[in-house]
Amino acid sequence: MTTELNQAELERYARHLSLEEIGDAGQRKLKEARVLIVGIGALGSPVSLYLAAAGVGTIGLADHDHVRLSNLQRQIAHSTAGVGRPKVEEAARALFALNPEATIETEPTRVDERNAMSLLAKYDVIVDGTDSFMARYLLSDAAYLLQRPLVHGSIFRIEGQVTVFSPGRGCYRCLYPEPPPPGAIEASPDVGVFAALPGVIGTIQATETLKLITGSGEPLINRVLLHDAMAMTFREVRYRRNPVCPLCGDHPRIHTLVDYEAFVGARSVR
Amino acid sequence: MNAERHHRQRILPQVGEAGQGRLRQASILVVGLGALGSPVALYLAAAGVGRLGLLDDQRIELSNLNRQVLYQTGDLGRRKVEVARERLLALDPSLLVDAMAETFRPATAARRLQDYDVVVDGTDAFETKFLLNDAAILTATPLIHGAALQWGGQVITVLPGGPCLRCLFHEPPDPEAVPSCEQAGILGAVTGVVGSVQAEEAIKVVLGAGEPLRGRILQHDGLRGENRTIAFPRDPDCPVCSAQPRIRDLSRYAEQVSARGHVMA
Repeated sequence: MTTELNQAELERYARHLSLEEIGDAGQRKLKEARVLIVGIGALGSPVSLYLAAAGVGTIGLADHDHVRLSNLQRQIAHSTAGVGRPKVEEAARALFALNPEATIETEPTRVDERNAMSLLAKYDVIVDGTDSFMARYLLSDAAYLLQRPLVHGSIFRIEGQVTVFSPGRGCYRCLYPEPPPPGAIEASPDVGVFAALPGVIGTIQATETLKLITGSGEPLINRVLLHDAMAMTFREVRYRRNPVCPLCGDHPRIHTLVDYEAFVGARSVR
Repeated sequence: MNAERHHRQRILPQVGEAGQGRLRQASILVVGLGALGSPVALYLAAAGVGRLGLLDDQRIELSNLNRQVLYQTGDLGRRKVEVARERLLALDPSLLVDAMAETFRPATAARRLQDYDVVVDGTDAFETKFLLNDAAILTATPLIHGAALQWGGQVITVLPGGPCLRCLFHEPPDPEAVPSCEQAGILGAVTGVVGSVQAEEAIKVVLGAGEPLRGRILQHDGLRGENRTIAFPRDPDCPVCSAQPRIRDLSRYAEQVSARGHVMA
C-alpha cells in the first residue's frame, strides 16, 4: 500500500497508531477503505461520526429522508437548525467538519432493489442503519450477492442487536428465514426508542467495521450480540449458515434481488 | 418544551409523560468532556435532560478528534466546555448548560456535586476517578463511573450508600503500573460504547427505571466482541461507603490530584 500518512494525520490518529492491532499499516487501510452506511438516523449517526473520526477514507451515506424534530431525541449527527433538510447533507457537513481528511459521498435516495446492487458495489463494507424489515432483507441479499461483509444493527424500544454477516458464513435470512407476521411489529413512528440505546448499538457497529477493515480481533461473525438497556445485559447467541437458506445455502434459489415490498408485505395480506 | 421532540421516548412504557417530565427537571454533571464525556453529553441532551453541568479545564487538540465527537477540526485550541455548550445547544436550544472551565479538585468537588442530581465520570485519571467516587458517596450523589483504554472499558453505577469503586478496587493503582492512553492507545468507537452505556445508566437513575449497574461491573471488550457483567458485594470494611468509614471528607487528597499523571480515556 502506498498511501502515506501526513504529519497532521499522524497527530490526529496518534491514539490509533499506538494500538498494536492498528498502527501505521492499519491506519493506512482505514484511509484506503470505502464504507457505505445505509440509513443516517439513530444508528447511522454514531456509526458515521465514529468512522469519520477514526479516519475511514471514504464514507458513503444513503438515506432519502429529511431531518425531523422527533429525530433529535437520538440522532446526534443532526441539529435543530437542520430540521427539514436532507439527512445525508446534514450528516455530510458534520462529518466533514469533524474530519476534513474524509471523503463523504451522499446518496439522497431510498435504497431499493433497482439501485442497491450498483450502489453497494462501490464499497468494501456495508453498514445497516435502517429501520425496516424490507431494507434488512434487501441489504443482506445485495451484500451477499456482491460478496461484501454487512454489519447489521437494529434497535427496538429498549433492546438492540449487532452481528456481522460475512459472505458464506450466514446472512439475515439464516437468522430470520421469514419476515414477521402482520401486526406483530408496529410501524416505526409508533415504537418508542430509548435515547442512548442507538449509541451503544451504533458504536459497536462502528467497532466491528473498523475490525473488518484492519483485520483486527474477532468480529461478531456467527454471533448476535443482544443488548437490553433496562436490565443492562449483553447476551450472545450463536448461529450458523443455514444449509437450506434460499440465498446462501447449498442450493440457492435467489440469484438476483427480489421484490422486497411483496416479500415482506405479502405476509400482511396473507 | 416541544412535545414532538421527545415523542419516541415518551411512548416508552418505562418513560411516559411522567418520566419525560422527570428528565426535564433533572440536572446532571459531566466531569471530563473528552472521549467518554462526548457521547454522554450528546445523548443526555438528546434525551431531554433539563440541565447539564460541563466541567473540564482542557482545550481541544488534534489528537482528541479520533474519538471526541463533540468537537470539530475548526475548534482546535478552544475550550472544550465552550464548544460542547454550543454543540449541545445546537441539538436542543432549550437545554440549560453550566459550562465550568476548571479543574475538578478536592477543594470544590463536594460543592460541585451538590448542585446536581447525578454525576457522570468522563475523566481520564484514576486518582480523579477515586476522588469522584468518594465525593459521590459523601454527598449521596449517584455516580456513573466509566473508563476506557485500548479496545476495552468498564462501567459501574454507584448509588448513595454503595457499593462503590473502593469496594472493588480499594485504592487507585500505582500510576507507574497503568499505561496512559497516550502510550497504550485507544479506539474511538470503544469510548463511544462505554459513554453511551453511561448515558443509558444516568437516564435510568433519573427515571428510577430498570436495573442499574449497582454492585455490578460491566466489562466491554471491543476486540473480542465480548461484554460481561460481574456482580460484586459491598465491602463491609470499605473506607468510604461502609457503616464506619475512615474517609469522612476529601482532605486526604493532595491539591494536585487531577494533574494528568496516569491517563485512562
